[in-house]
Amino acid sequence: MYQWHFEVISDYYPVFIDGAWVTAQLTAFSFSIGIVLGFLLALGRLSKKRLVSIPATVYVEAFRATPALVQLVWIYYALPIITGIRLSSFSAIGLGLGLHTAAYFGEIFRGGIQSIERGQVDAAKSVGMVYHQTMWRIILPQAVRRMIPPFMNETANLIKLTTLGSVLAVYELLHASNVLITETYRPLEIYTITAIIFGMIIYPLIALSRLIEKRWAKGR
Amino acid sequence: MKYGGTRDDTKEIVGSEPEGPGTAAQELPMFRIRNLRKRFGSLEVLKGIDLDVRRGEVLVVIGPSGSGKSTLLRCLNFLEEYDEGEVHFDGELIGYRLGARGRRERDSERNIAKMRAHMGMVFQHFHLWPHKTVIDNVVEGLVIVKKVERRAALEIGVRLLTRVGLAEKANVYPGTLSGGQMQRAAIARALAMKPKAMLFDEPTSSLDPELVGEVLEVMSSLAREDDTGHHGTTMIVVTHEMGFAREVADVVVMMDQGVVVESGPPDQVLRNPLHSRTRAFISKVLH
Repeated sequence: MYQWHFEVISDYYPVFIDGAWVTAQLTAFSFSIGIVLGFLLALGRLSKKRLVSIPATVYVEAFRATPALVQLVWIYYALPIITGIRLSSFSAIGLGLGLHTAAYFGEIFRGGIQSIERGQVDAAKSVGMVYHQTMWRIILPQAVRRMIPPFMNETANLIKLTTLGSVLAVYELLHASNVLITETYRPLEIYTITAIIFGMIIYPLIALSRLIEKRWAKGR
Repeated sequence: MKYGGTRDDTKEIVGSEPEGPGTAAQELPMFRIRNLRKRFGSLEVLKGIDLDVRRGEVLVVIGPSGSGKSTLLRCLNFLEEYDEGEVHFDGELIGYRLGARGRRERDSERNIAKMRAHMGMVFQHFHLWPHKTVIDNVVEGLVIVKKVERRAALEIGVRLLTRVGLAEKANVYPGTLSGGQMQRAAIARALAMKPKAMLFDEPTSSLDPELVGEVLEVMSSLAREDDTGHHGTTMIVVTHEMGFAREVADVVVMMDQGVVVESGPPDQVLRNPLHSRTRAFISKVLH
């Protein structure tokens, strides 16, 4: 019969706080890159100019077709050889996850924008709106409502993907846990707590997404 | 010539209306369409349309589905880019400009948008913006495109909603309206821009039969007097409503397979059509 020793948690709780903080930073870093680049990728893929839409499509497909872990390792080890730019392991993970998530965010944005029926755009054009007015005033306010559920999903995914930082020894939550395990030999307790912490971060996002959906459903 | 001698009849009808002093601007037709051609891939939808629409004139376009009526309308405000020919609106070529070496090139988005703001368009499926209230639908163009101050825009909006009988629905979302109410709101939205002409693309085709009347009523009132109350609105209406065509139109144009089959005053085209295709179409619609 296994004896659980959860007291290791209270003894070492600062480790979890430090790890969670790095996880949060990594998430914020890559989320920012992902949301900006993702929006540009969506507009790029929707562009009528092939010089814009083809590179955007190639980017999205390339990042979706290869594993995130491989992308991160490649950025950390191969990029310096090609460009001479050496990133810290934290920057490499943050940038890599940002570039990775941008591909997925981009597809969510593109899908949302494309789901708005063409008549909405026709009506906007017919009162004399130009592209950016149509996009910001008519398409995006409607599209964002449809994007929220998959967008929250992908954001939750991103938070979980930050655990890949452990392979490059970035001191995020999972790596912090691994280090602690080598000191305490209590892997089951520590992984249990790690899972609970991730759940505590991610579940509110899911709840928030559901709340927003309900709100907007009522507003219509 | 596709329109043959019928164009002279058109002139007679319009010429009989008191027009005031015949300045050059008034002589100039609102729309001058010449050899308009449009193809979708290998399918030629418009095969050389010639039409004039005079100021204050109501032109009704009839014809079987697939005859190119809607495409014609959408080419006029460049929602569809036509391939050949010319559309002049109030004296200006729509959608293109002469570039270097006299070649025709697409006009800038800004210019095209500016020109569109002078034409109101009403769609078969309304296309109200569901995330905005009725009044916000109406004033959106005023505030965003014309940069009218919001308070002034709201005044105009309320006046127009009153005109189409929807004042009490100003602050609700379009989703709560009936089809007829939605279409009247869409008309108010188009009128808010003070357009020089209104384009109606089958405005009653998606309405329940009992709601058609209220929309046609508003359109008839526009035909009688425009927003300034001075004279009738220039209107091009694609519709299957023969009663409306008979009572309100100055000119009826019959289209089939991408060409104008015949055109003339409603009495002639609807009662004594010259062309067998017109006769066949009208009897099909009426029976």
